[in-house]
Amino acid sequence: MSRNEPDDAELEALLSRCAGGDRAALETLYARVAPVLLAVLMRILRRRDAAEDALQDVFVSVWQRARQFDPIRGRALAWLVSMARYRAIDLQRATRPAVALSEVSTLEPQLQSEGPAESGDVLATGALLLRCLEQIAAPQRRCLMLAYEEGLTHSEIARAVNEPLGTVKSWVRRSLIMLRRCLES
Amino acid sequence: MNYEKAELLDRLAAEYTLGTLRGRPRRRFERLCVDSAAARSAVHRWEDHWSALSRTITPVQPSAQVWAAVSRRLFGDDAGVGAAPRGRRRRIWRLAAAAGLVAVALIAGLIMRQPAPPPLQTLAVLGTDTAHPLWRLERRLPLTALTIEVIGTVPEAAGKSYELWALPRGGAPVSLGLLPATGSAERTLSERQRTALLAADKVAVSIEPAGGSPTGSPTGAIVIVTNVPVAG
Repeated sequence: MSRNEPDDAELEALLSRCAGGDRAALETLYARVAPVLLAVLMRILRRRDAAEDALQDVFVSVWQRARQFDPIRGRALAWLVSMARYRAIDLQRATRPAVALSEVSTLEPQLQSEGPAESGDVLATGALLLRCLEQIAAPQRRCLMLAYEEGLTHSEIARAVNEPLGTVKSWVRRSLIMLRRCLES
Repeated sequence: MNYEKAELLDRLAAEYTLGTLRGRPRRRFERLCVDSAAARSAVHRWEDHWSALSRTITPVQPSAQVWAAVSRRLFGDDAGVGAAPRGRRRRIWRLAAAAGLVAVALIAGLIMRQPAPPPLQTLAVLGTDTAHPLWRLERRLPLTALTIEVIGTVPEAAGKSYELWALPRGGAPVSLGLLPATGSAERTLSERQRTALLAADKVAVSIEPAGGSPTGSPTGAIVIVTNVPVAG
């Protein structure tokens, strides 16, 4: 967990100032979260220039959509990260170089459930997800991580883990059902 | 909502947020989210859960040009001039290398020049009737952005905002943002807005609470509906 991890309450306040047209708030928000979002984008798009172009698009959208952010709907960082991931997924086919098998198979998804949760329910939710992921068998969990962190499609995951596509699809589906049950319990 | 439907929505939301829902099913689910609060809330729950994984990522500092470009695209700040076309410059370099161009002076000339902005095409003139045009909408080609220019006296709507919608054929309205009351504005389109506008044969304006529709769909009176040329 990064020590300078953006704080959701601060991000929400910044988003609400952005919604009111406060440019300085956007700049502060950028300083707080752009490095995290760039890291997310780079893992999916693989190229720094493509990721930086996407980062631009994300912040243009953040400004335009800040008033749509409803703190009740979810946490600010989750909203921002999701915007970045969806942008990357939409751009992926156009910009990502074809993934060489060898390259993918060397990618080791990191599952770091390090350190105790520091504050409040924000991290508690995170800790819950990490705990639930740990209950899923390693090969299946790896599929989820490849999808989430590297933005791989079912077929790309199948090649990366050297399993038939049908197996991967059903692993993902069943893992998600297990995750949901665990998260709800 | 019955249990099976809730299950199905949750499964789709999980795959959507994980990223394994792709292509047309992904677009279909995005359209469903416009209308279905249940789908949206399932998406939000999963987004919150997954974001735990991004909290452990090692941040990467963006280069200074990125903020400059954002600032320029949104506010037209001079600070950003020369930043946005960076990707394009790289492409020019790559192209030059591929073509075996060695005329260094020529290339230097190329990269110093700002690329011409893509052409604008009038999409629609919005007004309550033809005698009272209020806004002109123009689109950049290829469709990446809309410019909106106020060309009449926009009636004041106390505490309300005018919101522009794309009406895709057979789909739910997609917001294209608020209309300015004065001056002009340029809007970069998100992929969803772009897709909706490409599929739209009409755009509409509704009167919404200040700041725009709270639901993501038109909630107030629709005051203007205008045809737009299809698939630009």
